[in-house]
Amino acid sequence: MHLMVEMIRSSILSATPVLLAGLGGAYTFHANVFNIAMEGMMLIGAFTAVAGSYFSGSWIIGVFSGIAGGLVAALVFAIFVVSLKTDEFVTGTALNMLALGGTTYSLRQLFHVKGAFMSHAIQSMPRWNIPLISGIPRVGPILSGHPFIVYVSILLAFVVEWHIFGTRYGLRLRAVGEDARAVDSVGVSSDRIKAQAIIASGVLCGLAGAYLSLGYVTLFSENMSNGRGWIALAVIILTRGRPMGLLLMSLVFGFFDGLGLSLQGTMIPPQFTQMVPYIATIVALYFYSREKRAAREGE
Amino acid sequence: MQDQFIKMDSIIKVYPPDTLALDDVDLAVEEGEIHSIIGENGAGKSTLMKVLYGMTPPSGGEVHFRGRKVRFATPREAVASGIGMVHQEFMLIPSYTVYENVILGAEPAGRFGTLRHADTKPKVEELVDTYGLTIDIDSRIGDISVGAQQKVEILKLLYRDVDVLIMDEPTAALTPQEAGELFARLRGLNKAGKTIIFISHKLDEVLELSDRITVMRKGRRVTTVDNRGLDKAELARAMVGRDVVFSVEKMPASPGEIVFEARALKYVDENWVTRLEDVSLDVKRGEIVGIAGVEGNGQYELVQLVTGLLPAESGQVFIGGHDVTGEDVMARRKLMCYVPQDRKVSGSAQNMSLVDNAIMTHHRLNPQIEDRCEALLSSGRCRAFTSRLVEDFGVLAPQLDAPISSLSGGNQQKVVVGREFMLDTDFILLDQPTRGLDVGSIEYVQKEIVRRRDAGAGCLLISADLDELFSLSDRILVMSRGRIVAELRPEATTREEIGEYMLGAKEPQEAWRVREGIAK
Amino acid sequence: MKKQVLPALIGIVVALLAGLAILWAQGYPPLQSYAALFSYSLFSKFAFFSTLDKATPLILTGLSAAVGFGSNCVNLGQPGQFLIGAMAVTAFGIAVDLPAGLMIPLSILVALAAGACWSGIAAGLRRRFKMDEFITTLMLNFIADYFTLYLISGPMLDRRMYSPLTPMTNPGAWLPIWNGFGSAFLVAVAAFAVVSVLWNRSKIGYEWRAMGQNPIFSRTGGCRNDSAYLGAMLLSGALAGLAGGLMIMGGMQHRFVKGIGANYAWDGVMIAIVANNNMVATGLYALFFSVLQTGAMGMELETSVPSEFSLVLQAIVVLFVVASRESTRMLINNIAAELRMRRARGRDKGMGDGRHASNG
Repeated sequence: MHLMVEMIRSSILSATPVLLAGLGGAYTFHANVFNIAMEGMMLIGAFTAVAGSYFSGSWIIGVFSGIAGGLVAALVFAIFVVSLKTDEFVTGTALNMLALGGTTYSLRQLFHVKGAFMSHAIQSMPRWNIPLISGIPRVGPILSGHPFIVYVSILLAFVVEWHIFGTRYGLRLRAVGEDARAVDSVGVSSDRIKAQAIIASGVLCGLAGAYLSLGYVTLFSENMSNGRGWIALAVIILTRGRPMGLLLMSLVFGFFDGLGLSLQGTMIPPQFTQMVPYIATIVALYFYSREKRAAREGE
Repeated sequence: MQDQFIKMDSIIKVYPPDTLALDDVDLAVEEGEIHSIIGENGAGKSTLMKVLYGMTPPSGGEVHFRGRKVRFATPREAVASGIGMVHQEFMLIPSYTVYENVILGAEPAGRFGTLRHADTKPKVEELVDTYGLTIDIDSRIGDISVGAQQKVEILKLLYRDVDVLIMDEPTAALTPQEAGELFARLRGLNKAGKTIIFISHKLDEVLELSDRITVMRKGRRVTTVDNRGLDKAELARAMVGRDVVFSVEKMPASPGEIVFEARALKYVDENWVTRLEDVSLDVKRGEIVGIAGVEGNGQYELVQLVTGLLPAESGQVFIGGHDVTGEDVMARRKLMCYVPQDRKVSGSAQNMSLVDNAIMTHHRLNPQIEDRCEALLSSGRCRAFTSRLVEDFGVLAPQLDAPISSLSGGNQQKVVVGREFMLDTDFILLDQPTRGLDVGSIEYVQKEIVRRRDAGAGCLLISADLDELFSLSDRILVMSRGRIVAELRPEATTREEIGEYMLGAKEPQEAWRVREGIAK
Repeated sequence: MKKQVLPALIGIVVALLAGLAILWAQGYPPLQSYAALFSYSLFSKFAFFSTLDKATPLILTGLSAAVGFGSNCVNLGQPGQFLIGAMAVTAFGIAVDLPAGLMIPLSILVALAAGACWSGIAAGLRRRFKMDEFITTLMLNFIADYFTLYLISGPMLDRRMYSPLTPMTNPGAWLPIWNGFGSAFLVAVAAFAVVSVLWNRSKIGYEWRAMGQNPIFSRTGGCRNDSAYLGAMLLSGALAGLAGGLMIMGGMQHRFVKGIGANYAWDGVMIAIVANNNMVATGLYALFFSVLQTGAMGMELETSVPSEFSLVLQAIVVLFVVASRESTRMLINNIAAELRMRRARGRDKGMGDGRHASNG
């Protein structure tokens, strides 16, 4: 029983960065902007969050620094893709490389270490014990006591769902994704909407990064996003960018991530358990593609 | 000051790098009239309206509306002032409903932008009733017909209360009957006080509908005349600059043996909709068989099945006597050549050079361009081949290495046609071969097709342009709802009759009726 | 050709200037650092040979990415194919002991085959199950990473050493080094020659390029896109695998070490991107990036700039060259448009046929 609680807890913890990045990526997905820079934006956010928290001693500044980091990366992406009309794939890949190189370089520049930076001066995010829920016998320990961003991200999922599917902005966003010219013809700037979507994804990916370095663990290590941006992309494709689906799917991936951790110490070599989330992504993609094919062949 | 309603002065428009689309054009439109602008493709009519509508800024000149100088920076501003445009290519979101498309950009919203439909939906319904547009505003755009989609575009403008409606080549995708309905609707709107600007290259329509006509050629305004006792030939001459031959001269056909045969072709698409049902036809050497039909009635699937791009559910395809039903595209190309509908998407790779576009298919089938080593292509021979193509087919091309996108539409099509014809096969399949071309190129391509026919090839021609079908075909087949419903000789029928078969308004001919009770 | 060289030069110059600015802003002596960068990569025999040595994997991963992207295959699995190629060569080199005349060509084949197998998995999943190879190649990178880590920590561990790595391969599999010049570079050059001819002159190369530019066009023209796709993916994987294999066969270590190959695979992706999948440009950019990376280590020695700065510089070069391609094109077009319009206006003014003067 205790194991179950632990596993669900760790699923929620692992799911959060994927959920946040996925919510951000949902905006670009619906605007038909191919955003492969989420991995880089998350990494930059993780770094700036640690830097902010370390130098100011406050986790609040740290979180805002993380968001700012993602925001700046997104601005660069938007300038190149929307204003200069460079190819999205190319710009995104270059941005990821810049993020990797830049954060590794800055790690040495600012903190004079290689590999990872840890310090007591980094203030991490507080955990919230939700008063009513933590009392409930079975459910309490599972749901309560997480870093507060976890609860924020769940709330955000509902907010984003409403925003994309129930407001004027969302109607235009999805229209841009289907036919940008048609939107321009009614006098709404599709370029502006695309830029806004990119910036939204930067903010949320930056937040995801801040969670990684200030909530999930309290440190920054090279390449710490470790593919979660790619997994988020896969999840967006699988759920077709619906936030409610993202909420569910990211939990599933969190589960596999946690599964890997809990299998450690068993007979299975640790490297194989670490492979689990990535294999799970391929398997999920298999089922998704099969369902698409089946629909086509009318099975 | 009636003639100060819409006034465009000395409009110049240059598209980078150096295309002069509008060369010092003046235009005056009176309030409450139906004013047509005619010219061939590339004359500048659409561009002029795009400048008026705020879709593109002029490089020089001024626009006046209701006596005041205006410069619309976006279509939104033009619409807010009362000028709206229905584009040739519809600007609609396929997965949204009619209603959603109408309100997009002018949505009724409450706090934080939440959508509220309570008041607006009835308002849109009312517009539909008032102007007799007969569409279900909850239907999805992707599900309704082209004619219905056009009604949605008009509805969008009416919702925004425009006084001027610009129609850009509206009958391009309509049947003769639908075009007639459109004209009735436009007259109705005109009577209700709307000014109509009608862009077209079809002289008959323009003569039927307009109060005044402006003729444009090569970016300049040639003349503006009242539509009173006008002569079609005069107008055509003004449009093109010389006498226009309205149909290609050709000798009567003397068909030989069968070079192409389709037997009982059937195709079912991924949504379980039967797109082709029991289609059988043949083409003989030395004849041109035309296929007429409203787009979406199976012509696309027929072409895909014949070329081998899609597999048939059942039925067979014979080319030159060989059963090619199971063969792939390249194998069939040994026996047939294919001029696709969409030269920019299927017919070429826009970023590749002229040479690279010219050698497609030849790279496997034509030993002349091979290198000494068979797996390699000889660069010198490829260029020589391309030069021959350019010369034989009159392509105006700057350099062989320039990307094909630097050529005009007409020249690109000549490259595609030339490449295919140089495969020198007995069976030729053509899908909308002259769509979007200027008159000179249309004439050229049509003459080439006839020349091939006279040299002994059999041609299957699919076209939405009834004039072209009547002019070129020796026999016309009509397709409707995935079946062939009629076979007619151009000299023995009219456009109206073809239109009736196309829409299913007339019962299929005896020979083409589905036979009840006979096992397929 | 000119259209491609000009934006590239502009982009590189602007990027280098940006790099100068970053160095200066951080308090490093910019010109001295750049001087160190270039002298440690080009201006001595040792430096130049080091640059060529580093260029070897870059050329191959660049080719791998160019073949992939140029054919419209999204192969982002170079890191994984690189590792699998290196691992296969290591295993082969340890298990088999033959004279060099046999070992070297066989090892090369092993590397090619291993890389092709790894990319083949993604290609197969795409063909059979329509699974997007973008995601599968990325996921396979992580799987290859963990799998090779497992091997060198367990079954293939050299127990005499303190960190995870394998024993050395048998000497037959070592590529000779002549006076500081690593012969592995020659293998890369040979591969470059073969792939260039294949890509630019052969029939299948034409089909790859056509498919890369417009798969609908190539299909309509009769090309078998399915088999062309498979071929391109396999070749792309093979080249990345060869890059990994040469890391083991060349150099001095001849062992599979944790972290081998570092960033070479992703650098190759960037090289292909900035070279726009052109073969010659790929080769040149590979050399250029090698100059940056080799020189960066010397730069750290001289002026203490962290050597990771080369990664930053690389990414900036890519961004600026690609952006400059677009904006140079737009700029040139706009200038030409302006000239055309002036000509039109001037002509009408000179006609004097009663038309009013255009507003100035």
